[in-house]
Amino acid sequence: MMKGNLIEKTTAWERFNHWVLAVSFLILFFTGLGFLYQSLNWINTIFGGNHLASAIHKWTGLVFTLSLILTLGSYFGEAIRFTSEDSKWISSLGGYFSKEMEPPPQGKLNAGQKLFYLIVVVLFGATSAFSGFIIWLFPDSRGLILFAHFLHNISYVVFAFAVPLHIYLGTAANPGTFRVMTRGTVTAAWAKKHHGRWAKDMGIE
Amino acid sequence: MALETTEIKRRLSGVDVLTRKKGLLISPELCIGCRGCQTACKEWNKLPGDRTSNRGTYENPPDLTPNLYNKIRFLEVTGGDTVKWLFVSQRCMHCTDAGCMKVCPAPGALYRTAEGAVAFDRNKCIGCRFCVAGCPFNIPRYDQEGRIAKCHLCSDRIPYGLQPACAKTCPTGAIRYGDREELMGIAKEAGYKTVYGTTDLGGLGVLYAFRERPSYYGLPDSPSFSPTIALWKNILKPLALIGLGGAVAAAAAHYVTIGPKEVDEGGEE
Ligand code: HEM
Ligand code: SF4
Ligand code: SF4
Ligand code: SF4
Repeated sequence: MMKGNLIEKTTAWERFNHWVLAVSFLILFFTGLGFLYQSLNWINTIFGGNHLASAIHKWTGLVFTLSLILTLGSYFGEAIRFTSEDSKWISSLGGYFSKEMEPPPQGKLNAGQKLFYLIVVVLFGATSAFSGFIIWLFPDSRGLILFAHFLHNISYVVFAFAVPLHIYLGTAANPGTFRVMTRGTVTAAWAKKHHGRWAKDMGIE
Repeated sequence: MALETTEIKRRLSGVDVLTRKKGLLISPELCIGCRGCQTACKEWNKLPGDRTSNRGTYENPPDLTPNLYNKIRFLEVTGGDTVKWLFVSQRCMHCTDAGCMKVCPAPGALYRTAEGAVAFDRNKCIGCRFCVAGCPFNIPRYDQEGRIAKCHLCSDRIPYGLQPACAKTCPTGAIRYGDREELMGIAKEAGYKTVYGTTDLGGLGVLYAFRERPSYYGLPDSPSFSPTIALWKNILKPLALIGLGGAVAAAAAHYVTIGPKEVDEGGEE
């Protein structure tokens, strides 16, 4: 949809849900860090001590899980559509490591975004939510708890690597991109540079 | 300076925990099954009785509870045409390499005492029960508020020069309290084949003088906690911080070297 010179890339609902996901994630991530390292336990002191931090972690986990499910409607359909543009994006490393290796025009989501969504958000998000609920709801099953504790921590490590990069790519690395999550609109030049095929589909030449 | 560093390292190492470790020596063959220790522990810790039912055995209650930190198990062992009745005290082993402490996410809820025992602070416990899953002996129990309860090696008696209530009460010497090293010596001198806990899990604070294999007395022959706990502690846990730091550093390095993908707006506005 065109709005003057600007093109809408995310709807108000998508932006709202992204912020619910992001804020709930950060609360989970930091309370989790406070539980993980004794030396970082002061983080949970900020959240009101370990007891309150534990309650906040659990209920925020529920919010995160619901928000995660709701993202499926926004990105899943696009993310599972893998084309030759995507393989080329991957072989050129997205053009992030050399200005000479320009990836071909991309659709609404590029290959990196698709993989981030499918692997990090959906797969490991579901793993952390699934294991979190086991820890929360079945505290008495010893074997299950150990398994869940392990899964919970594997997904934590994945998030620790991937999320800071996601934030960087959405802000400093790509000027003009952060608007997608604040105003929802992008400039025509931005659309052509980052998502050329999508821009074309939107009628921008 | 150098000396100080070595001293600190020595104190932090498991070896030193072991040399200053105090503990209990349990000799099932000396136990007469009077359960004075169960009662003494309840009395000292102000723990109420548990309502139980007649199960056709003197063993009572059937398992450790949040109100029972120490229990005598009544084992009937058959061999040939004889039946032997064995009385084995069950409680927290005060492991040097303690699975419960490794997984606990609430600092201070489980802590190491000056005697090397594993005590708990119920006010700090957040009730996640990771410690139950981490304990190789299935020891920690939960009170009505969901807080941990287990033997703490009388951490509120030993500092005042008193011995643990259970050991003090025991009329036969089946539970003895003392320096861990000394207790091991006593058991060896008395001619016991096995001193259970000498090296298991870095050395247990509760040692058992056995004539037979540990499984004969209902204890695991080689106790261990789940390998996922070690994998988590040694690899995943550090990896989380490395990942976070590495990702932030990589982003910053990318920004100042290769730089962002600028869009040429070329006066389109
Ligand atoms: C996706 C983001 C999440 C992250 C980054 C995260 C991180 C963590 C971390 C690091 C711990 C400490 C584990 C340890 O000490 O080994 C933890 C514990 C826990 N997590 Fe999560 N978690 C997330 C999602 C969830 C969800 C969705 C739930 C369920 C609603 C949940 C429920 C729990 C519970 C119950 C604990 C036990 C500690 C406590 O009682 O607070 N987590 N989490
Ligand atoms: S239940 Fe309490 S003592 Fe046990 S691991 Fe959780 S916080 Fe620690
Ligand atoms: S016996 Fe269980 S509860 Fe006691 S110190 Fe060892 S792991 Fe912890
Ligand atoms: S050492 Fe103390 S707390 Fe532990 S079983 Fe004996 S009396 Fe109870």
